[in-house]
Amino acid sequence: MLVAQVLINALVLGCLYACIAIGFSLVWGVLNVINLIHGSFIVLGSYLAWGLYQSLKIPPWYALIVAAPLFFILGYLLQRLLLNRVISAPVLVTLTLTFGLDLILNNAMIYFFKADYRKLTLNPPIGSVSLFDVVVPVDRLIATASALALTGLLYLLLRRSRVGRAIVAVRLDRDAAVLMGVDVKSIYAIAFGLGAALAGCAGVLMALIFPISPLSSSTFLGKAFVVCVLGGLGSVSGALAGGLLLALVEGVGSATIGPSHATTLSFALLIVFLILRPQGLLGRKGFE
Amino acid sequence: MFDPKLARVSQVAAMAIAALAGWGALSSPAAADDVIRFGAPLPLTGPLAPEGIKQQQGYDIWAEQANKAGGISVGGKKYKVEIVYADYQSNTPRAVQTTEQMITQDNVNFLFGPFGSGAAKAASTVSEKYRVPTIAATASSSQVYDQGYKYLFGTFTPNDTLTTPLTQIIKSKAPDVKKVAILARNDLFPLAIAQEMEKSAKANGFEVVYFEKYAIGTLDHSATLSQIKSLAPQWIFVTGYTNDLLLIRKQMVDQQMKAPVVTMIAGPAYQDFIEPAGASAENLTSASWWHPAEEYAGKDIFGSTSHFVKLFRDKYKIDPDYGHASAALCGALFQIAIERAGSLDRDKVRDELAKLDIVSFFGPVKFGPNGQINSLDPPVFQIQGAKPVVLFPQAIKQGELKLGVN
Repeated sequence: MLVAQVLINALVLGCLYACIAIGFSLVWGVLNVINLIHGSFIVLGSYLAWGLYQSLKIPPWYALIVAAPLFFILGYLLQRLLLNRVISAPVLVTLTLTFGLDLILNNAMIYFFKADYRKLTLNPPIGSVSLFDVVVPVDRLIATASALALTGLLYLLLRRSRVGRAIVAVRLDRDAAVLMGVDVKSIYAIAFGLGAALAGCAGVLMALIFPISPLSSSTFLGKAFVVCVLGGLGSVSGALAGGLLLALVEGVGSATIGPSHATTLSFALLIVFLILRPQGLLGRKGFE
Repeated sequence: MFDPKLARVSQVAAMAIAALAGWGALSSPAAADDVIRFGAPLPLTGPLAPEGIKQQQGYDIWAEQANKAGGISVGGKKYKVEIVYADYQSNTPRAVQTTEQMITQDNVNFLFGPFGSGAAKAASTVSEKYRVPTIAATASSSQVYDQGYKYLFGTFTPNDTLTTPLTQIIKSKAPDVKKVAILARNDLFPLAIAQEMEKSAKANGFEVVYFEKYAIGTLDHSATLSQIKSLAPQWIFVTGYTNDLLLIRKQMVDQQMKAPVVTMIAGPAYQDFIEPAGASAENLTSASWWHPAEEYAGKDIFGSTSHFVKLFRDKYKIDPDYGHASAALCGALFQIAIERAGSLDRDKVRDELAKLDIVSFFGPVKFGPNGQINSLDPPVFQIQGAKPVVLFPQAIKQGELKLGVN
């Protein structure tokens, strides 16, 4: 029964990891920007969910509707006004810029919210469901389902919509896309906006599960990074595969060789992937 | 001949020299007469920021009180207190650098140790080298004091003074509790106290069915907790800091884990654990070095414990916990030692600290030969009705142990 419980835990956690990583993967895949502000966007999303619940009793699943457009606008403006100016510079420049922006946002959050940990506690609590002896917390199930839905939406958007096709085209061949009349700057801004919206939504969902503090942002960012390397950039399913693999390795590792070595194991796996399969499980050029 | 170019150059040079001289005067210690400077390297940002900020509040309230009373009197002359803060960003190597910088560049007279056992131990090598008396407010692990250092003092008793009374209470009040599971954050203090717990548990006849460490920054504990649940321990003992413990407690509820006794160190001593944990904090047991319910008639600047608690509430609108109190105590002890030494001489002050044997608002203070305090009876408490209720020591006991954490 322990095995089943550990596997279920890993499955649910894997979807949460995917949710954390998907926006990061999109921005990295399309813009070739390693967006270090991603973790802070997630935390900001958590604060939004927390604030809406504390003040207006709006549960996090409705807060998604507010978070998505707000974060899209934030990301869009950030890319339009700042990042687009350096987008064609080497990757180190954009990395440094997002690093600086992250410092600003993170310290602003410490200033306004303090470094204290907050917790979004639903009242009444929604508890856990159990099947035989396997227990799954309902909040994690909701977050998982929402994460899968968001991933599906993104997939459809990239596949079916004109904007989505333009995003993929820009990623595949920027110059050809320009010749075809695609406004690259605005596509970049839209892609970054989508990445930010996904981060904000992930934050809203994570508020149900993790304590909220500006200090968590680097943990989220670290997970997103590992998931992207494992799963591979350039595909929605890559983030999902990477998330599941990471959660599985961590879960099985904790249960067999102890929790302190589980992290070692997951980073060892990361190194193996970087050496043997740098494109990740499902990575390929372009974002589809 | 008058050369305008030369004139301009000399004008600029003169300005530069004047500016340099002015800057030198500002930063030279001569301008800082009648002030005693205390260096406080703290983790004001990064993962340990909540704890670092507590320590800062403790130092600040002492400095405020000391200055309100005119300052510290040294041989009949009053000196104002100035605390020099530096943020080492929760990064221990940087705490060591910062400490050295405070001694060599900021010219501090005395030092407070950085947060926790690990950083305090690392930084103590520097303060020892420069022979600067240092009081560590939040370092309890004996490894910090076993280095044979002369200038390091600490206001937390060794870790076993927390686990031994706790184990004895559980043993006498809950005879059905036999199996203990211990989960520790892999960090100096949380691991050291977990190891002490293992020793205390074994010495008192408990069976330790699980002992594991989790890495710093672990985001999910579900696999570990599932495993603990499958072992059905009656006592679950978890160590870590606020974030870890909130997350673990939440995941325990998620996995419907129940046990007669659940102990968490150090979260439940903090209001910022109790509030977010809500109902899930009920009946958690813990131990700490100080509790606002204590009542000592101190000879320090704060006087009685209740007076300290009142001053703290007035200033910060929250109840002080042991981190706040210990930091304030460190300042108060320096003040006593300096006044008794009647001098700012570091060796004289160090000797006065070593000789101290007084009652403070924090409890009786006397340092052992290794510099660690050995005069305190740390309280054991339990969260009941969202409030910490003291179970031990007998003199300040507020309630009885309740079993059952759901």
